[in-house]
Amino acid sequence: MAESTPGSAEFEALRQKSIAAAEATIREASSRPDLHLVQAVQALDDTDKYLNITATRASEWYGLHFPELIQMVQDNVALCKIIAEIGGREGYSAESLQGRGFTEKKIAAIIEARDRSKGGSISEGDLSRVKTLSALAVQLSVIRGGLNDYVESQMKKVAPNIAEVAGATIGARLMAKAGGLDRLAILPASTIQILGAEKALFRSLRTGARPPKHGILFQHQAVHTAPKWQRGKVARTLANKIAIAARVDYYRGSEDPSIKAGLDKRLESIKERYKDPPQRKPESRGPPRREGRPQRPDRRDRHRRR
Amino acid sequence: MSRIQREDRSGRTVLLTRNLTPGKRVYNEDLVVKDGAEYRTWDPFRSKLAAAILKGMPDSVIAEGAKVLYLGASTGTTASHVSDIVGPGGVVVGVEFAPRVAREFVERVARERGNVIPFVADARDPSKYSVAQVDVVYCDIAQPDQTEIALLNCSKLLRKGGTLLLVVKSRSIDVLKDPERVFAEERAKLEKAGLRVKEVYELSPFEKDHALIYATG
Ligand SMILES: C[S@@+](CC[C@H](N)C(=O)[O-])C[C@H]1O[C@@H](n2cnc3c(N)ncnc32)[C@H](O)[C@@H]1O
Repeated sequence: MAESTPGSAEFEALRQKSIAAAEATIREASSRPDLHLVQAVQALDDTDKYLNITATRASEWYGLHFPELIQMVQDNVALCKIIAEIGGREGYSAESLQGRGFTEKKIAAIIEARDRSKGGSISEGDLSRVKTLSALAVQLSVIRGGLNDYVESQMKKVAPNIAEVAGATIGARLMAKAGGLDRLAILPASTIQILGAEKALFRSLRTGARPPKHGILFQHQAVHTAPKWQRGKVARTLANKIAIAARVDYYRGSEDPSIKAGLDKRLESIKERYKDPPQRKPESRGPPRREGRPQRPDRRDRHRRR
Repeated sequence: MSRIQREDRSGRTVLLTRNLTPGKRVYNEDLVVKDGAEYRTWDPFRSKLAAAILKGMPDSVIAEGAKVLYLGASTGTTASHVSDIVGPGGVVVGVEFAPRVAREFVERVARERGNVIPFVADARDPSKYSVAQVDVVYCDIAQPDQTEIALLNCSKLLRKGGTLLLVVKSRSIDVLKDPERVFAEERAKLEKAGLRVKEVYELSPFEKDHALIYATG
């Protein structure tokens, strides 16, 4: 390239070759199944948010008309399904409430609530909008279900060991945070342990506050169901095993049931060894606060502004 | 006439680079005609090289006709201005390892500009981009070991007496350390490797805790 002068035919040929090679690399990277999986799990989490927002709005709006029903049907999606299908209060009857998993008693209670409802009347126009919103929420829940199944089945193919150890959805979220299976596979366990808790980590580095014990991993049932004093240990163990699982998935690609077995064994022994809460010594709970890292409010401010 | 120009807009200096592809924008920047030639405005809040120039770095550091190795091309915002500056007789070899941003770099910058050669590669492995000696190495990769990476590239690809421009983001090297100290340490590393550091431009108010180190080999 040094020899060929910019603008010459030779130079242009080299340039085109380089562009083609770059595009091939990019294309290959974007067909990586782990990157698709990362998008899928993020779509799942997005859909979950939309669903919550939509269902909450629909139920609040409908609550002006039939507040008692909102109290009686706790499941948001079930509620939206009723609203979308039955509509105004006068539509509630033994027949229309049939086949929704309600007991006879519950059906009678809903009908009774309808008769003495404190809700106001609702116009055709308002009702039609609430029904549309409710139908959207129902549809979103179907989409969410589909994405959830998809993430589970893809994780089994793409990262079976992570799926086994962390659970499919949590594993996929870790992959998303890391930026792909390849990135997750080179992260140290200590980083995996706190993926998703970056804010708390930086705060702790700056101020000497205690470092976070877990980020995304808190969602794992072994962590959040553990008693508080065991949680850090459980999260650390889990992170260790996920780090191993990620490496096996990335470099070897085959299943290794011994990782999960090792995890279960370690979790058992933590439960056993740290059965009792530690003696409370109010001065020395957790790791000691670090010396020599005084708070620097000026710097802290600077970071926060970004 | 230099391919970098300045315009005064109510007391504020606006940098311009002579558009290599007249009529075309790269990222929605304004186009300005000056003495019959088209220029693209260059925003120092989006480009650290522009910030360094406004902080006093001479325009001539990247000369017309120069060959530039650009590490960390990202989507190509700054690289496109470097392509303007070196002009049709110069070369910008852009290296970026993240496929997602590299895609934009290739589409919007490399495909459009006859003096830009893209590589989707890791700057830690210069053997992956077949470049002969260059006049300037520009390095903006925001990695903790970026100074080592820059030095590796200089030792392999920078011609004798060539220029290194190294962007240092103190937070990506050490979150806790005082930025001043990080800059001094990175500077010392370059000097130890035998480079002559001419100036360290601190980039505020355009970027916080950033500096651009200007050195020659
Ligand atoms: C701060 S951005 C560069 C912004 C760009 N210079 C501009 O002003 O338009 C850093 C870029 O370096 C890339 N990068 C980081 N490490 C790299 C490496 N080892 N090799 C190549 N590119 C790298 C990142 O993907 C990112 O796009």
